[in-house]
Amino acid sequence: MDERRTGYLLTVLLLGQLVLVAIEGARSTRSHTYAEVLGLRILGPAARLVSIAGGGAAEVGHKVRLQGQLLDENRRLHREVEELRLRLLRLGDIEQELARLGDAVRYSAPLLGEIRAVDVVYADHASWLRSLVLYTGSRAAAVNQPVLSPAGLVGRVVVVAGPYAKVQLVTDRAASVGGMILRTRRQGVVRGSGQEGGGLSLDYVSLAADVRPGDSVLTAGIDGVYPRGIPVGTVVAVEAGGQLFHKIRLAPAVDLGALDQVYLLEHAAPPQELVKAIPHARR
Amino acid sequence: MRAAKLLAGLAAAVLLHLAGTRLWPSFPQHVDVFLVVVALSALEGSSLPALLFGLLAGLVQDTLTSGPFGLFGFADTAVAYGMARLAQRLVIQRATGVFAVVSFASLLQQVILAALAFLLLPNPSLPDPLGMLGQALAKAVACGSLGMLVYGLAGRFRLAIEARRRGRMGRLRLG
Repeated sequence: MDERRTGYLLTVLLLGQLVLVAIEGARSTRSHTYAEVLGLRILGPAARLVSIAGGGAAEVGHKVRLQGQLLDENRRLHREVEELRLRLLRLGDIEQELARLGDAVRYSAPLLGEIRAVDVVYADHASWLRSLVLYTGSRAAAVNQPVLSPAGLVGRVVVVAGPYAKVQLVTDRAASVGGMILRTRRQGVVRGSGQEGGGLSLDYVSLAADVRPGDSVLTAGIDGVYPRGIPVGTVVAVEAGGQLFHKIRLAPAVDLGALDQVYLLEHAAPPQELVKAIPHARR
Repeated sequence: MRAAKLLAGLAAAVLLHLAGTRLWPSFPQHVDVFLVVVALSALEGSSLPALLFGLLAGLVQDTLTSGPFGLFGFADTAVAYGMARLAQRLVIQRATGVFAVVSFASLLQQVILAALAFLLLPNPSLPDPLGMLGQALAKAVACGSLGMLVYGLAGRFRLAIEARRRGRMGRLRLG
């Protein structure tokens, strides 16, 4: 092919990709293309292989170094399990009491569902376009499924390719979550800053609202994706942003750089009455 | 044969990227392995294979990032074509020349990515210009160094293979 034809091909390819990026950039929700799913299906096993190899090597070294401490740790963990069992019994009582109180005032708690542990096979939390790839095993994840860690919210699934799933982190510049300040119940929108260090911001909180550094922010359960009550972050700075709203910066609840296992939140099926009333309701 | 070599190079880049990210989480922020492979392949000088390989490598990179699909595809296609056209006009024989070309390719790619993000994405949140410039320069130097290293190692490997082949031919003549 001569240079002129190559030039035409280049123009077509660049224009095609420009249109693709422009369409995806303009969409409010993250979508995926078949090429991306195919790519994830091919790259997923490679990422898993590297993760297993890296994890295996690190584990062997770790075990050799810590062999002497393992017995002590085992004893300590046994004690902790006993304490947690007792605490679980107490919490079970409280849960039943809450359910009884809820019945008395005809209040139904939000649907939370169950959690399932899955492995992280690739994590890029440092670069400008950060992402996380999970291996979910035989049970595939679903798009928009919330991803959690014991410390709080990690993000949501945006692309599913068989046993692999790509996650949009809560710190991603395109991510937004309905948030709520725990102390005052004031709601706003948590957005990823996309900046180095992976900060968050809490937008649309009016200047009249009482917000202080140290306040905990949880999911508000108003965005149709995340249920209420998952820790998102802590307020680190409050500034007067404009004439209407505070400029609030948050530190994420989760250390996204130290994730090797996360939890997928399996949604409980919506009640039949709701499905009948609103056929297109997601949850 | 060339296609197989390019695919092997891409597979090696994928493995290096994954292993690098696993060992050093901020690896992708400092080195772009895919860009190095794309720039080195473009140095061969034929623009069509270079641009197709740039497209493929860019889309592979897009699969591993959370940005819009096609962002790296666009940048790497343009960079690969540009570098191939540059290689048609320049004779690059020294490793320092490779360093300069790969570093330039890295800078060009980052400029294209920043421009695309600024023009097409709703909330680009790019770092401050000075910080971005410093980061881009550091990444360009790292990519250039890696490109120079790979180029040097490939050259040595080629020479070793050639010497071995000559030795075998000499023994055949004596026999």
